[in-house]
Amino acid sequence: MKQENLLLIFGMAIVTFIPRFIPMAFLSRRNIPEKVKVGLEYIPVAILSTIVFPILFFDEGGTFGIQPQFLLSAIPVFAFAWKTRNLWGSVIIGMVIYWSLGFVL
Amino acid sequence: MSLLVYAGASQFIAVEMILKGITWFPIVLTTFFINLRHLLMSSTFSLFFNKNSLRALGLLSAQLTDESFAVAMSDTSKISNRPIYLLGLHMTSHLAWISGSVGGAFFGSLIDHREYGLPFALPALFICLLMIQTKSPLHFGIMVIAGVSSLFFKWAFPGNWYILLATLLASGIGVIVKPKAQRSKVKGERG
Repeated sequence: MKQENLLLIFGMAIVTFIPRFIPMAFLSRRNIPEKVKVGLEYIPVAILSTIVFPILFFDEGGTFGIQPQFLLSAIPVFAFAWKTRNLWGSVIIGMVIYWSLGFVL
Repeated sequence: MSLLVYAGASQFIAVEMILKGITWFPIVLTTFFINLRHLLMSSTFSLFFNKNSLRALGLLSAQLTDESFAVAMSDTSKISNRPIYLLGLHMTSHLAWISGSVGGAFFGSLIDHREYGLPFALPALFICLLMIQTKSPLHFGIMVIAGVSSLFFKWAFPGNWYILLATLLASGIGVIVKPKAQRSKVKGERG
């Protein structure tokens, strides 16, 4: 059992490191075509969007469907974050709205 | 585990799989596929660190996470060829993660994790980071394409493939659309 745990943790550590390291190591050492650079510029917005949207439209079991408590909390946070770009404010407002909705829904 | 395997989603899934009695190899394999999305983040980081040694890059990339990536990208002037700044950001968040893991292990049973709006803390953070990244109408378009297609890909494919697929699709469309958008802008300015 002990050896099994070691294998698990070191195995996970290695496979976590590989995709984080390889592109940085190789791409930083060569000239990247302009097109790829443009693509890389859009990755942050695209990747964050693919993290946010499924939270609002899938339940924990992975079934598709509107999540009213998440969606209704998200709309004001989108508006607030767009205006202020304030991280702490967004988190606090989001949590308060989500919590209050818990009593209503 | 939080010290060596700094990867939230994978850790949660690993715990679930351990409880089900699954052996180490499938868990490691699952972790690998979950973390493939970091390929894209690491590629983006490579634009900002082109003067550093491999050893330094190894150190920097080891602590790359969704959250620290998003925070770093929200003001790229701070990270551009400033490895120490990024390392500081990584160390701070990793330390918070470890102390949170230890704290949760001891005191986790004291509060219900569904209470006090806690389920929405992380989504709210990501929404704000997303808005920070939405810098132009084209970015907004890419956000919508990535978001909607991620819903489809998540519905259509098992696991975490939707993050990789939707991101590649949306930024690919961005590459195709951008020159056209710029050209029409130039035309508009002339006319």
